[in-house]
Amino acid sequence: MRPAPLDRKLLRDLWRMRWQVAAIALLIACGVAVAVMAFSAQRALAEAQQAFYAGTRFADVFASAKRAPISRARDLAAIDGVVAADARIVQSGLMDVPGLQRPATARLISLPDDPERSLNQVRLVQGRMPDPTRMGEAVALKTFMDAAGVRLGEPLKATINGREINLIIVGAVLSPEYVYVPSSESFMPDDAHQGVMWAPRRTVERAGGMSGAFNSASLILASGASLPAVLAEVDRLLAPYGGRAAYARADQPSHAFLDAELKELSTSASILPPVFLIVAASLVHLVVSRLVDAEREQIGLLKAFGYRDRDVAWVYLRMAAAIGLAGALAGGVAGGALGAAMVDIYRAFFRFPVLNIQFHWTAFLTASGVAVAAAGVGSLAAVRRVVAVSPTVAMQPPRPAAYAVTPLDRLTAGEAFDQGSRMIVRSLERFPGRALLTASGLAASLALLVGTQFLFDGIDQVVDATYYRVQRWSDAISFVEPRDAGAVRDAARGPGVYAAEPTRVVAARLKAGGQQETVRILGLEPTSDLHRPLDAAGRRVPFEGRGLVLSEALATRLGLGPGDAVWTEILDGSGPRVLLPITGLARDYSGLTAYMNRAALNRVMGEGNLASGADLLVAADARPDFYRAIEQTPQIVGASSRDDTVASWRLVMAQSFRTAIIFYLGFAGAIAFGVAYNTCRIALSERGRDLATLQVLGFGPVTCAYVLVGELIILSLLAIPIGALGGQALARGLVAAYSREELRLPAVINADSYAMAVAVYLAIVVVACGLVARRVWALDLVAVLKTRE
Amino acid sequence: MSVNDPSPPSGSAFRISGLCKVYPTGAGDVHALRGVDLVVAPGETLVLLGPSGSGKSTLLNILGGLDHATSGSVRFGEAELAGASAAALTRYRRESVGFIFQFFNLVPSLTARENVALITEIASDPMSPEEALARVGLADRMDHFPAQLSGGQQQRVAVARAIAKRPALLLCDEPTGSLDSESGVQVLEAIAEVAGDVGATTLIVSHNASIAAMADRVIRFRDGQITEIATNARRTPPREMRW
Repeated sequence: MRPAPLDRKLLRDLWRMRWQVAAIALLIACGVAVAVMAFSAQRALAEAQQAFYAGTRFADVFASAKRAPISRARDLAAIDGVVAADARIVQSGLMDVPGLQRPATARLISLPDDPERSLNQVRLVQGRMPDPTRMGEAVALKTFMDAAGVRLGEPLKATINGREINLIIVGAVLSPEYVYVPSSESFMPDDAHQGVMWAPRRTVERAGGMSGAFNSASLILASGASLPAVLAEVDRLLAPYGGRAAYARADQPSHAFLDAELKELSTSASILPPVFLIVAASLVHLVVSRLVDAEREQIGLLKAFGYRDRDVAWVYLRMAAAIGLAGALAGGVAGGALGAAMVDIYRAFFRFPVLNIQFHWTAFLTASGVAVAAAGVGSLAAVRRVVAVSPTVAMQPPRPAAYAVTPLDRLTAGEAFDQGSRMIVRSLERFPGRALLTASGLAASLALLVGTQFLFDGIDQVVDATYYRVQRWSDAISFVEPRDAGAVRDAARGPGVYAAEPTRVVAARLKAGGQQETVRILGLEPTSDLHRPLDAAGRRVPFEGRGLVLSEALATRLGLGPGDAVWTEILDGSGPRVLLPITGLARDYSGLTAYMNRAALNRVMGEGNLASGADLLVAADARPDFYRAIEQTPQIVGASSRDDTVASWRLVMAQSFRTAIIFYLGFAGAIAFGVAYNTCRIALSERGRDLATLQVLGFGPVTCAYVLVGELIILSLLAIPIGALGGQALARGLVAAYSREELRLPAVINADSYAMAVAVYLAIVVVACGLVARRVWALDLVAVLKTRE
Repeated sequence: MSVNDPSPPSGSAFRISGLCKVYPTGAGDVHALRGVDLVVAPGETLVLLGPSGSGKSTLLNILGGLDHATSGSVRFGEAELAGASAAALTRYRRESVGFIFQFFNLVPSLTARENVALITEIASDPMSPEEALARVGLADRMDHFPAQLSGGQQQRVAVARAIAKRPALLLCDEPTGSLDSESGVQVLEAIAEVAGDVGATTLIVSHNASIAAMADRVIRFRDGQITEIATNARRTPPREMRW
């Protein structure tokens, strides 16, 4: 059966306008692709998370103590609302790993006697589980083994609680507690130095001198159980044993990071697609309107032949729908591929036994429906014009487009303005709505280019402020237990150390009004050089008496400021509860920290001149000797290096942000290209005849190309300040949407980023202009002049 | 001077010899011009008549520098148009040729004055737009946009635009094709008058045999060839014509 004439017209129009159609469909494809990608990746992560958690009995509540008798574990299990409880031993220390310069953190966790009923079970992925009858056998986190190059059967020597223990790694495992392993110093991964290992209880008991005791507990709650009540009861039960604040799964570091990523995917899926669809709908409006204008006589003729309004209108509506559908299909394919690429990136950060992506049909169908509807809505104004065309139009001679003198003409009066420039300005005046839509679309693309630059600039600022201005140490160490500050003097005598400052860290709960936050209070020397809180202007914030200096983010959460006082419940030591004044605010970019004079903090704790660690400056060439020395110092359990931390930031940026930036560049490029190309094509279809006339009259093709693209160039330039401002707003919006406790990126955009964004934007506009303008050289002067428009 | 003599009474603006134009198409070659020979005198007015597809517009396009001949020669003064580069043809159109089209081809976003200024801005010795418009009787319509003018007025603006550069050659392609008789006469009057004033050689292509009377010579085309060249003993002023 041959298609009806109007169907053939539709198909031929689509083919004739294929590049314009493709440019709009590209935008729709971007919108649908982002939705499909984000929802597919999100579901993949969420399903992997759910399956892993369920299969390993990942706990709902976590708590730690110094040393609690194993018999108290039964009391934990008996708490109202608790379904299962598990008590274990976790010991920390340092470990020399062949091939690593800096010692790795060793975290040795006891395996349960009854693996089936225990919580937070590990999944063996290589080798075997340790034989409980053989001392020293252990399994290690696969990420650590891969990153540190540890092989099965390899012996490792760790120093835990001052005791040197020999371990043999017999298996590689994955753990629901360590799906993502943040380093101790930043939330960035540092897998090679995170030596998490599990060994039979006997081995860990001996390493930590914890026979018959536990220091870490996990609970699973019944559905409907009151989390705050359980947390309070756990704290109460463990308090006599040095129990630190119990926390919920939501605050478990690995889980919190994964959860934040899932939320970010939702944000991406809800912010970006609407932008693309709005721009695409605007372009559909412009293109179909122009087509209807150009085909008024044909439309009139069809009506004169007896076609009904709706028959003719249906052609244009279906054209819009076809553009939407083409974009949606391409977006579905691209979204599936991008989702798979995204999950590949996730595999490097999140370790699940199984992480598979499946195409999210619901997201695809919903996004496609919205895309087709958006394209249809975009065409409505043009379709109304189709309905309004009278059949008599076909019988009337063509009239030139109506122009009138406007106030702007006074500006273009005089000899300085040539007629070509006047044509450009008049076109802008005659179609202000179109000019606005075009400029808005271009500004949106530039805003996307500018606004996403903060990912790089913000990180640069965070790294610079955190690791070079606030923290100025090259290495930091932490002790097993707070020790006399004299220990820091010993550390200062280590190889290559030329400055050392003691630090004291305690966990605390700050309460104000109805708000409470669990934070770390960092006690520093009042004259410290290696770590000092800075205010928003970069000035040192001095300590006053026992006053707290809060990070701005923490103060905002608590609704407090300098001059206020805050109830502070210390969660370490004897757990004093005191009202402390807030004497200043510091700007930092991650975590929730309160700073205090170390001596004052020790007084609040009721303790002497104690330090829980030290900040050090170590000569770069003496580092290997320094690390060897601290490995052999039993009291030291943590060692951080600024260079390593900064390097891991840079690595993560290179891996994940580069991908994000490529996406954004592609998306912004698609918008700029789609808008610029279609605007030029519309101008060409409107002015093709004028341009041919100009050439016949003796104008060169360059002048004609100027008349053709001049309007777009003006709009592109006008869109730059709007796009730049929009970019700033977008950066602030993205910061608000994506901000996490682990990282508060500042919405800074550097001058060179603006320049880069504008350069990319203008390059895309120029390419689009060039593609259309080259047609000026190929205009068939005779054919264009012989036919009526 | 006899009928079918390709030479003009005196001198030459154009010397056309053996001019052929072939358009290759899927269905075979289309011969639009098959060996045209013609000499046109400076200041002469020719009317080219013939049915559609007879080759008259093709000849006009080649003379106007819009199209290339497949073979043969077109000499304009000392210059050979056949084989000239695109840039040379643009220069030739800019300096020497005035065009008047069937559908006027005014730029809708420019006023009458500005449409004429388009040309005066790039010509070497133009008259002012105001003078050109006054010569076609539109002194009081200078600031009107094309949409605010009647068809005849629009075509007169086109005439003003064509002659404002004082062209050596005025090419008119169906100048009355879109006009009623009265407007057509006014336009032809304007063409005859101002072409005479500036001394332009004028070629008018038309289906309309009635306007042949205003020419010095009438060239009839059929199947890509000149079938007849007739010389009018007296040029009839357009105001005496009706169709």
